[in-house]
Amino acid sequence: MKKFLKKISGSLSFNVIGGFVGYTIIFGLIIVTISNIIFINTFKTEYAETTYHMADAASALVDGAYIPYFLKGENKLEYSRIQRELDVCCEKMFVSIIYVIAVDQSDYGSYISVFNSVNNEVDNTNYVPWELGYKRETSNDEYRQKYKALYEQGSTYETVYRIRSNGNERPHNSHITTVVPIKNHTGEVVALLCMQRPLDELLDKMFPYLVTVSISAFMFANLFNVLISLFIKYRIIKPVSEVSEEALRFAEEGTKGNLRNDISNYKVFSDLSTSINSMETDLTQYIEDITSITAEKERIGAELDIAKRIQFDMLPSIFPPFPDRKEFDIYASMTPAKEVGGDFYNFFFIDDDHLALVIADVSGKGIPAALFMMVTSIIISDIAKTGKTPSEVLTKANERICSHNKADMFVTVWLGVLEISTGRLISSNAGHEDPAVCRKNGDFELLKSKHGLMLGTLEGIKYADFEFRLNKGDKLFLYTDGVHEATNEQDEMFRIDRMLDTLNSYKEKSPTEILKGMHNSINTFVGDAPQFDDLTMLCIEMKDDFVSESLTLDATLDNLDKADSFVGGVLDKLGCDSGIKKQIALAFEECFVNIVSYAYGDNCGKAEITVEGDRSKVTLILKDSGSPFDPLGNPDPDLSLSVQDREIGGLGVYLTKKSMDSVAYEYTDNQNVLIMEKRLTGGVGSE
Amino acid sequence: MNISKVRKFDTLTINVEGKITAQTAAEFENFINDNLDGVSNLILDLKDTDYVSSAGLRVILKAKKVMNTQGTMKIVNVQEDVMRTFVMVSFPDIITIEQLPI
Repeated sequence: MKKFLKKISGSLSFNVIGGFVGYTIIFGLIIVTISNIIFINTFKTEYAETTYHMADAASALVDGAYIPYFLKGENKLEYSRIQRELDVCCEKMFVSIIYVIAVDQSDYGSYISVFNSVNNEVDNTNYVPWELGYKRETSNDEYRQKYKALYEQGSTYETVYRIRSNGNERPHNSHITTVVPIKNHTGEVVALLCMQRPLDELLDKMFPYLVTVSISAFMFANLFNVLISLFIKYRIIKPVSEVSEEALRFAEEGTKGNLRNDISNYKVFSDLSTSINSMETDLTQYIEDITSITAEKERIGAELDIAKRIQFDMLPSIFPPFPDRKEFDIYASMTPAKEVGGDFYNFFFIDDDHLALVIADVSGKGIPAALFMMVTSIIISDIAKTGKTPSEVLTKANERICSHNKADMFVTVWLGVLEISTGRLISSNAGHEDPAVCRKNGDFELLKSKHGLMLGTLEGIKYADFEFRLNKGDKLFLYTDGVHEATNEQDEMFRIDRMLDTLNSYKEKSPTEILKGMHNSINTFVGDAPQFDDLTMLCIEMKDDFVSESLTLDATLDNLDKADSFVGGVLDKLGCDSGIKKQIALAFEECFVNIVSYAYGDNCGKAEITVEGDRSKVTLILKDSGSPFDPLGNPDPDLSLSVQDREIGGLGVYLTKKSMDSVAYEYTDNQNVLIMEKRLTGGVGSE
Repeated sequence: MNISKVRKFDTLTINVEGKITAQTAAEFENFINDNLDGVSNLILDLKDTDYVSSAGLRVILKAKKVMNTQGTMKIVNVQEDVMRTFVMVSFPDIITIEQLPI
């Protein structure tokens, strides 16, 4: 019910039309009431006046001078004559009663009847005429006052109404009594003439009249209502609803509707519908535009991601990058800031003995920095691969970059070329951070040299070479300013001294572990603050005491001693302790004897033994050109068996697997190749 | 490698000095086979043996199988490195190994 009421109260139709109906009902009621009242009053007055004139006419028949004599009983002839004339009057005028009375002038509380004519046909009454001299009390105060007014105040006439409701009470019907004064020759009032006329018929006629008027008024009012409601509904509410519905539909569906422009004759409404139509057109157009712009944005975003990947892929990211080059260990990483960044590193072989190292930082961020970074990286590596010295490379690269640098971008670069066999490193610096070097058994320190201007700033800049050595066991650390300028939430920077402290806490570790340690340290320092700049680091270590020796001999049992001595000799060079040495000897003997026994069948063949490694790890490689055989193919012997059930064979390979950290077999280039590795530090047997 | 023996009635103690490799294992095996007649207690003293390869293990295992039909066998005074090899192949589970006071 509440919902219904709420809905009704919001409906324009209902409110407007309901308002009109309500108003016309009230209006009608007021009009009817007012007209009724005016009518009744007017009628009353008119009736009273007419009655007065009739009474006045009747009073002319009575000579007031004779009244006192009549009361005494004298002048009977005159009295009878007047009485007869009054009777005729009563009959012809068709009034109920005409009576003349002399009122007691002391208090007007009583009167004596002088004349009395009755016409009972008028109103179906049964009055009996009063006799001359009949005394009677004044009916009520109204009469008293009116008598008094006539006698004393010179009133022309008075009227008294007696209205009985429903007209069912006989003999007291509704009537009107008009009283006029009877004067004597001196103008003095001596008696009163009263004329009583019935009102019932009048009232009876009046009532239907009022009903007719009310009903007519009501009907016309409602006709008016209906007409105005129809008008309002179809000419005002309908167009407004149409527009409103269309607006609602558009808000929900977002597609152009088809509101007519000629929705109404009235300018107000046709303007409204025209406006709605044009708004819909515009809005749908905007929505289309935004949709395509958003799609475009997403496409650009996707392309940005691809650009990031392309840029990222330019940096060597596979580690170890040169697994066959045991002379050095290298690791690098670039952690970009939120946007596509401009830092890069690179390393590549110029020739077999020369490794180039590059680290650079492009000014700016985003796509421009990324594009510039890629161009710069390619220019530098192209020129470097022609074998020029680092200073020449940077000088030429600067020329190339400046000649195409309308966007005024620039880049800091550190370029170094390492001669691997000697450890000689020539470097050139174009406005970049000084690298940190850790000598064997020493600490990381900054290696200062002359800085040239950043690449891309000015043409004609000449750069200088700076030479130093990286000996076995030394480490070189390259970085960009993202490292020492990393900022935490208190706006403090990581700084060079903290960087060196962290480096030194990891100085014994491998390049990979050094970079990981630096990352952790920086992340801990920065905390929740956002990363503003790329974090780029590169670390290279010259491996200490890397040894690699090979021996090829006939695979015979007699040669076992010789082979064993060879292996032991290399292990001694690597400082291998005797326990581990024996384990390796055990594995080696088993594998060598396998070759001796099975590789060549009845024939003779060669075995190639290679021992290589450094203080931390040794690799044993056994090659033979005999029939393909995978010694690791057989399952391990079951050691839980009793003596009787134990296999005699199979123990050798088992011992090999158990003695070495890893054993691998492959058949390549028509050779069986067995590769075994063992850690020399921190492993089993080094107690 | 040098092998020596001490025979006391039916107890034979074999002492190996040096390395038991694939090369020397055959000699080791022959020595044992030649001296096993009438032995019901075989003792291998390896206090001077600093290396035993799988060839040597095979020989020891063979000897144990034989002694299981003749009597008992034990190995004594195994060096640390050799012991590690023995443990790797679970020898202590099948052969008695003791450290005798020198």
